[in-house]
Amino acid sequence: MAGLKIAHDKCTECRMCYVVCREININAVVVSPTSQHLLEIDERCIYPKCTVCLMYCPAEGSIVETDTGRSLVPPPPEVWTENQRWPRQ
Amino acid sequence: MNLTTNKDLGGFLAQELIKQSEHDAAVTPMDTVLDAARAGKFSADQCFRLLARLWTLKRTMYYVYGGWAQGINLNEYPPSVAYLFGKQIYDESTHEMQFCDEILRRRWVRTQKQLFVHPYAQFGTATRTGSYIFCLRALANYPQNVRIAALNLGPKVIELAWTEKFAKTFPDEAIHALFHSQLAETRSHVLMGRFQVERFLQKEVDTELAKRLCAETRRDYLFYLEESARFVLGMQEEKAGEISVSGDID
Repeated sequence: MAGLKIAHDKCTECRMCYVVCREININAVVVSPTSQHLLEIDERCIYPKCTVCLMYCPAEGSIVETDTGRSLVPPPPEVWTENQRWPRQ
Repeated sequence: MNLTTNKDLGGFLAQELIKQSEHDAAVTPMDTVLDAARAGKFSADQCFRLLARLWTLKRTMYYVYGGWAQGINLNEYPPSVAYLFGKQIYDESTHEMQFCDEILRRRWVRTQKQLFVHPYAQFGTATRTGSYIFCLRALANYPQNVRIAALNLGPKVIELAWTEKFAKTFPDEAIHALFHSQLAETRSHVLMGRFQVERFLQKEVDTELAKRLCAETRRDYLFYLEESARFVLGMQEEKAGEISVSGDID
């Protein structure tokens, strides 16, 4: 299953992924119900159709492919959408 | 699911402002400071001066953001704008604390109270630091999207560029680590700016205003960097950053 997850050892919890995911109404980035309130990406994520969180993430290596563990920040060329930001049509 | 607007004014504006700022960021007075440090010509006192000037700017950002915050909750923007603003204030506070921590750790002063009154860390109103801070504070009169465009796609781009250089090659290990630790947050401020400009700056009048204000903030930030670099390197040609104002100003 393709998908994304947050690497908490790299993430700075700036929440840009949360903000942009809300902005486009996918809502796949959530605040975990634990005392640390870390961000997680749930099953609503439609990666690789959408890569918006990758476009705004400032912290290298903090979002990775679930299956492969490959870092997607900064975004490699193949995940860039046509207008470089929003989901593919 | 096409979420860009037809004209995408904000998107074009964000690209244009970032490009202009990156041009200004290519060479800044901070390069001279870094060159001196890398050449081994940097004394502990100069290091103290550097951190003290950076700390002074960061601590006075509370004054700027305090003014800006007064007009943010008028239902003009979605909650993400207020959140991002809060995060930016929190990050600047973190950076301010880091500079202060390092100064105290090295015992250049013994207490934070002493740092506030130390000559190296003074905030002077008739200085270029003052000019920059008052320039930012005056943006309180503008909508949040316009002032975020002016700051986050202007001085923040320049700050990110010189911080990246310091984070790469500043020879003192602890200070190098300090700058490196600030990179992701400063980069996120630029990205927050890009996001907010792309999404919420869509009127032509606002884009023109943002361009003008961004040019002004970039100019004043570069003056601040020049004043700080001169002070750090002991190249003061004028008294502690004193500036002259021409008589025919409005």
